[in-house]
Amino acid sequence: MLVNIDNLSKQFKEKRAVSNLSFSINEGSCIALLGPNGAGKTTTLQMLARLLTPDSGAIQFKGYAEKDYRPLIGFLPQHPSFFNWMTAKEFLTFAGKLSSIPNAQLQARVQETLTFVSLEEAMNKRIGGFSGGMKQRLGLAQALLHKPKLLILDEPVSALDPKGRRDFLYLIEELKQDMTVLFSTHILHDAEQICDEVLILQDGCLKWKGSLPSLRKEFDLLPIKVQTEEPMNGVIEQLEIIEDYEYIDAKTVKVRLPEHVHHNELLQELINRNISVTHFEIMQDSLEDAYMKVVRQ
Amino acid sequence: MTRFLTLLNKEITELMRNGKLIWLPVVLMIIGISQPLTSYYMPQILDMAGNLPEGASITIPTPTGEEVLSGALSQYGTIGTLLFALATMNVIAQERQNGSITLVMVRPVNEWQYLGSKTVAQLALLLLSLILSYCLTWYYTNLLFTPVDWKVMLSSLVMYCFWVLFVVCVTIFVGTIIRQSSAIAGVSLLFLALISLLTTLLPKFMEWSPGNIRGEATKLLVEQQWTESAWTVIGSTATLSLLLFLAGVMVMKRYRRY
Repeated sequence: MLVNIDNLSKQFKEKRAVSNLSFSINEGSCIALLGPNGAGKTTTLQMLARLLTPDSGAIQFKGYAEKDYRPLIGFLPQHPSFFNWMTAKEFLTFAGKLSSIPNAQLQARVQETLTFVSLEEAMNKRIGGFSGGMKQRLGLAQALLHKPKLLILDEPVSALDPKGRRDFLYLIEELKQDMTVLFSTHILHDAEQICDEVLILQDGCLKWKGSLPSLRKEFDLLPIKVQTEEPMNGVIEQLEIIEDYEYIDAKTVKVRLPEHVHHNELLQELINRNISVTHFEIMQDSLEDAYMKVVRQ
Repeated sequence: MTRFLTLLNKEITELMRNGKLIWLPVVLMIIGISQPLTSYYMPQILDMAGNLPEGASITIPTPTGEEVLSGALSQYGTIGTLLFALATMNVIAQERQNGSITLVMVRPVNEWQYLGSKTVAQLALLLLSLILSYCLTWYYTNLLFTPVDWKVMLSSLVMYCFWVLFVVCVTIFVGTIIRQSSAIAGVSLLFLALISLLTTLLPKFMEWSPGNIRGEATKLLVEQQWTESAWTVIGSTATLSLLLFLAGVMVMKRYRRY
């Protein structure tokens, strides 16, 4: 375990942004913080980054005695703003010095980080002239510059175009090997691609926590949709490989298979029984269904 | 300490890049030398302005060099103070408003390092401007009026530097409390004006007041002696400035959100 968060609460004037939030983060994991707008994701992350003082509760890094754990974290805010008169290289050098990277390693580390986020061509340009995507990448660069143990990213991809988003997710994927990553998003698909665990927040409370497959399972989802020419009554019931099913009409059924069974086997079984399959779909939005169920609970 | 120097270095670079290090000294120099120049050309100016009845004669006694310099000090006291407060009001408010403070405070930076770098950089800028301006004014005064001894000039300059210190500390302290930059300048100037007003209204109780600095500096020019009251004012101003700085650090430590 890397961090333990215990009973965190934060009240803004009228609104209770986060209430009694407790969870722990394992070392090396990649966690997504999900939830609708206003659920308290940003507040939680800002409290973790010590930018916001919680009203109550504690954040404890395992094996780190000092109260100020800022050397251990890297933080990318939702809308990072820099000193626009600096160049990217100057900013990273400045940030690196503040994080006490030894002078001997600083330049190499800055260079390495700039290359990692593919900004080496723009490194001597003023940040003021950067595009949104470049700023986001520079924000990531400053967050991982000092090799923090925990990387906190607040909505890292929501402001990016599709290509930028894919590139950024690819970067996070690579970072996962070296550090623990916690990021918030409201795009389930992104979470599904890169993280091992999700926390779902709603109205400042933790609604659900665990891995994505277990989320699917817990909410009893039937992710495969099959349509046939002939009615399937009696056929589906006979198939042992099916864990659960639900008829939409006589020719359409939604099923779930156990984890060890590949969906091709189902197709095979149906063909073996001389049933002509007209439609076979693995539904991508099944996760969304589960999410909606959690949020509506 | 390294962090403080890194932050200070960033502040100074910023002052150079955004041109403050150029325009502020220039403006202050213009304010300074306008004093000896207008004093010298006053008869001609009045003449050109016209509106005087035929045959009217005005005799303006030529001021001494010391009087001209003290006139310049009074210019610094009004327009100068306004400029000082305006130049300083943004240093924290801007970074809080555009959010760039978060990328600094997310690193292991202490409040005193942050505030200290701002104060020192701002002091360096304003004192540099003041010294350049005052020396230039002194040069013109010597050319146009009776010469003033450089030691006298220097002692009044040193005295006046404490007023700048006080203005910077007040404005930065107010800047830790208020987010809006115009309000910061307003509140700081109101506070400084109040102190000066109280100093003139209640001279008995306000001997220690930083509002006395200009009076003391003028005294140094005209009477050319360090009196005990000068030390009192210097001591109290330095102490007040330190207290304001510490109060600013305390306020920042208690921020719930940067």
